[in-house]
Amino acid sequence: MQKRNNYTEIEDFLTDESFQLWVLSKIDEEGWEEWTLENRQRAKLVEDSRLLLLAMKVQDVNLPSSEIHSALEATWEKIEEKELLLRNKSFLKVNKIPRYWLNSAAAVLLFVFLSVWFFKGNSLKSSSEVTYKELIAETDEGLLEQTNNSDKPQSITLSDGSSVLLQPNSKLSYPKIFTGNERKVYLSGEGFFEISKNPKKPFYVYANEIVTKVVGTSFRVKAYSDQPDVEVLVRTGKVRVKSNDLVSDVKKEEIILLPNQALRFTRKDLIFNKINNITEDEILVKSVGNIEQLSFEFTDIPVEQIFETIEQAYLIDIDYPKDKLKDCRLTTSLSDQPLQEKLKIICKSIGNDTKCEMVGNQIIITSRGCE
Amino acid sequence: MPPYIRVKSSVLIFILTTMSNQIIKKSKGFNDDVLWSNLKEGDEKSFSILFERYYKDLICYGNSLSPFSEKVQDCVQDVFADVWVYRNSLQDNVVVKAYLLSSVRKRIARLFERDHIFRKTTSTEAIEFLFDFSIENELVEDEVTAERVLYLNKLLNDLPPRQKEALYLRYHQGLSVEQIAELLDVNYQSANNLLYRALLSLRKEWKGSIPLILLISSSVL
Repeated sequence: MQKRNNYTEIEDFLTDESFQLWVLSKIDEEGWEEWTLENRQRAKLVEDSRLLLLAMKVQDVNLPSSEIHSALEATWEKIEEKELLLRNKSFLKVNKIPRYWLNSAAAVLLFVFLSVWFFKGNSLKSSSEVTYKELIAETDEGLLEQTNNSDKPQSITLSDGSSVLLQPNSKLSYPKIFTGNERKVYLSGEGFFEISKNPKKPFYVYANEIVTKVVGTSFRVKAYSDQPDVEVLVRTGKVRVKSNDLVSDVKKEEIILLPNQALRFTRKDLIFNKINNITEDEILVKSVGNIEQLSFEFTDIPVEQIFETIEQAYLIDIDYPKDKLKDCRLTTSLSDQPLQEKLKIICKSIGNDTKCEMVGNQIIITSRGCE
Repeated sequence: MPPYIRVKSSVLIFILTTMSNQIIKKSKGFNDDVLWSNLKEGDEKSFSILFERYYKDLICYGNSLSPFSEKVQDCVQDVFADVWVYRNSLQDNVVVKAYLLSSVRKRIARLFERDHIFRKTTSTEAIEFLFDFSIENELVEDEVTAERVLYLNKLLNDLPPRQKEALYLRYHQGLSVEQIAELLDVNYQSANNLLYRALLSLRKEWKGSIPLILLISSSVL
């Protein structure tokens, strides 16, 4: 007889493909309708199973066959890469290394190991310290590195439009293009970050032992490898700070910072100190940089003056037709915007085919005057 | 006359059996087990067929474990790439779909372990089923049904993530209890409990609120 005559549980129905087909696609190949009506108790069980099936829908993934096809192609590419990697590995294995070579290599390794151990033991460095070098070594993406050896801050524009003002004696590593769902950069020294908003791709700054996570704001991170503290100071928006997981023995707490709040992380003791009002902290008050003091709230201000403010803040040159723009005035709030965004807003506000172009640290503005 | 007929019928039977054999072989040519063993011998076509057959299911499952769809795509493709690259060391008697689903789960768990900076826990146990079940709205005709389905849907989504995951694997991906046990890395009894408890708590609540509907299976017998 039919196996469904023995069904006693909702589970039996739910796993029956023909039943599913009947409920969900209304294709009644096996006469479910009639069979159900044969018996009142059976009808109840069927109805319950049906309701449960209706309440358990899983959203269908919309994947056209063209996308599956390109995914298959991408997979073949991955396979090629993997096979190449494997072949190289086995090639190394096959190539026999002479024995004496191995011996001397072992000796060198032992020497290196011993000296590293010796120096580590002697240096004041505690094991909890995380350096910029270690952070870079942890990533497997290809990163660009910008070092500021000059005596003036340098501005960097990242691929997502975010801008970073890198202070002297500082280094920033960042990918040429942000891919994936996260934006990660690595800092040694001090930088002021203005992050373009993108809630889907949070932005992370890795600096010494701490990690700062934002969605879109401006803030400063100060993390010199030879200084005892790491500082994070927030200008606009909301920022989350956590210790890097490479530091194992620290409490996994996450600190949220709001505008004009700051945080000082003592590297030796691995302690976070939250500073609720930066104006009350002497060290911070002294160290506030140019860009953080300048106001980007403009009310009926000549464009010329706005450009000057930006030049000062980002230490860049702006080339614009002075005579054509001399009578233009703007009212705008640019505090929360990265450099590129600021320029875009200004040029749009001037209107009249005004264009902003950024070539390195030089900004060229072409305009026929304001409207 | 009779011998002639006999010969004819036996020929006919022969023809029929070879035909049905061919039909079976043909449909078996697309059967997972055959594709799997062909793949192991380096048949690219079989690999592609399996890819096209299961890619969508795996993406769907992956998305229920991680909110980052780009990473999920990457993981699923990596799983397939590894299947091909290490095809020589693949096992023979596997249920292909269960194997692939389990590999995707492991890969996503590994990913979680690597990128755990802003995650509270790091263990692979913590990988959590994020899906919410929705309602087949276009199939709900009357208001009474709508109300019941809505209530059931809420009960379903309030279940613990692991119970939800077990239900999803059982009824949407069609895995057996054994396969679910293996995938969730628990023993058979625990997997069965996950499923049973999920249905049981649904029944209890549901029964409590709508006494008209009798869900106890014994009442049927």
